[in-house]
Amino acid sequence: MSDKLFLHDYTTSKTYTYGQIIADLNSVSEVYEYCCTRDLYTIFLNIITAVAHNVNLVLLDSDFSELELQNLSIDSSVIMQSIPVQQFNINSTDELICKLQNNPDWKLTLFTSGTTGIPKKVVHKLISLTRAVRISERHSDDIWGFAYNPTHIAGLQVFFQALLNANTLVNIFEAERTKVLELIKNFNITNISATPTFFRLLLPLQEEYPSVKKLTSGGEKFDSNLSDNLLAAFPNAKLRNVYASTEAGTILEAKDDTFSIKDESLCMIVDGELYIHKSLLGEGTALVMEDGEWYATGDLVDVIETNPTSFRFQQRKNEMINVGGYKVNPYEVEQALEKHPLVKQAYIYGKSNAVLGNILMADIVVTEVLSERELREFLAPLLQPFKIPRIINFVDSIELTRTGKLKRT
Amino acid sequence: MLEQLLTIVNTVRENKSLPPVAEIKPEFDLRTDLGFDSLDLAELTVRIEKEFGVDIFADSFVLTIAEVMAKLNK
Repeated sequence: MSDKLFLHDYTTSKTYTYGQIIADLNSVSEVYEYCCTRDLYTIFLNIITAVAHNVNLVLLDSDFSELELQNLSIDSSVIMQSIPVQQFNINSTDELICKLQNNPDWKLTLFTSGTTGIPKKVVHKLISLTRAVRISERHSDDIWGFAYNPTHIAGLQVFFQALLNANTLVNIFEAERTKVLELIKNFNITNISATPTFFRLLLPLQEEYPSVKKLTSGGEKFDSNLSDNLLAAFPNAKLRNVYASTEAGTILEAKDDTFSIKDESLCMIVDGELYIHKSLLGEGTALVMEDGEWYATGDLVDVIETNPTSFRFQQRKNEMINVGGYKVNPYEVEQALEKHPLVKQAYIYGKSNAVLGNILMADIVVTEVLSERELREFLAPLLQPFKIPRIINFVDSIELTRTGKLKRT
Repeated sequence: MLEQLLTIVNTVRENKSLPPVAEIKPEFDLRTDLGFDSLDLAELTVRIEKEFGVDIFADSFVLTIAEVMAKLNK
């Protein structure tokens, strides 16, 4: 059995080899259809087991509250309920990888915060999840810093890229700066894919980390100050910027912040908004297509050149607030706040912030005196931490637009 | 200034249900000594900017209270 390292998880101080995960896959007798756990190895083993047995899976953030699950129409009693599966007899890493590639129609359901307050469900087939995966000898010694939430599309793409090349994954998600740097050094990490906020929080970088060959970032604006700092500390690294969405995964790449469209039958720009072709999308249940063919991403762009088209991202057309790479739906937070008996009205907005890109702010009208702390404690069991407003202003009234909607700027 | 910073630090700690610290020293690391994560650091910058008019993370990242003070003294 292979003693090549599959995963190191700093949160549990545990390491797992490919031999171990194969042994666990061979002996496991159940799959969790609704997977919701904090333990990274359990999530990975469950995904591998589900793919190998072709059991479709729903992946949920481990910190979803009862209220958030209700909003997704998921009854909490189904979570971590198991489906029995037969045992395997897989003998090598190559056999494992072949086994996983046998089920291209395997389906994974993810959730993305919708723009109208209703979260969207997106279903991906394995074949679309792994479309961007490159398998070759060149990648056989890659060591991945795993810096994304494992239940989000970006994390899954890194997972499959690493797994299908039998690479090592080193968990660095939500690790403190000095821990991340220590792990990069100790494990000679070669590839890191993360949000700009993750990279920003590594600064200041006082040493060089020569093992890193590739840095990939996306999901937020990337500034040149950050890229200069990163390239100085990672002297052997190439930096690339990707555009990805929960609906489509990674679809565009750029060296800096200028993207170019290579295939105009898959992406196009109409009235300054990026559209992607339905062939690139997962089977979203609530995605609205123009002419049945094109999905409007809500991302506004500035066209720089045509033939071929190149562009830069401007801001999102919809009202989602990007907090450190996590999209927050202001309506969801307002609804949670208005459940408090003393809150009359709430208005959530983003304020630009050097650490997170945006910080979540709230203006609140209350009927009796309340403290910020009381409101935050009220929200804590209802919402994931990044959805909780960090600055709360108590105001006398909130300005409405003429249509009676909250005014958003 | 240290006194005002202490108040702000404790506001951020209180908001995340951590007990207040009795004092802050220049060598304190914002993350390891004060327990601030990225969301807390973002909140800290907003509160400091409101009080002092300076965005401490504007052009480079600060690690310690001493570095925060250096930015405020510029």
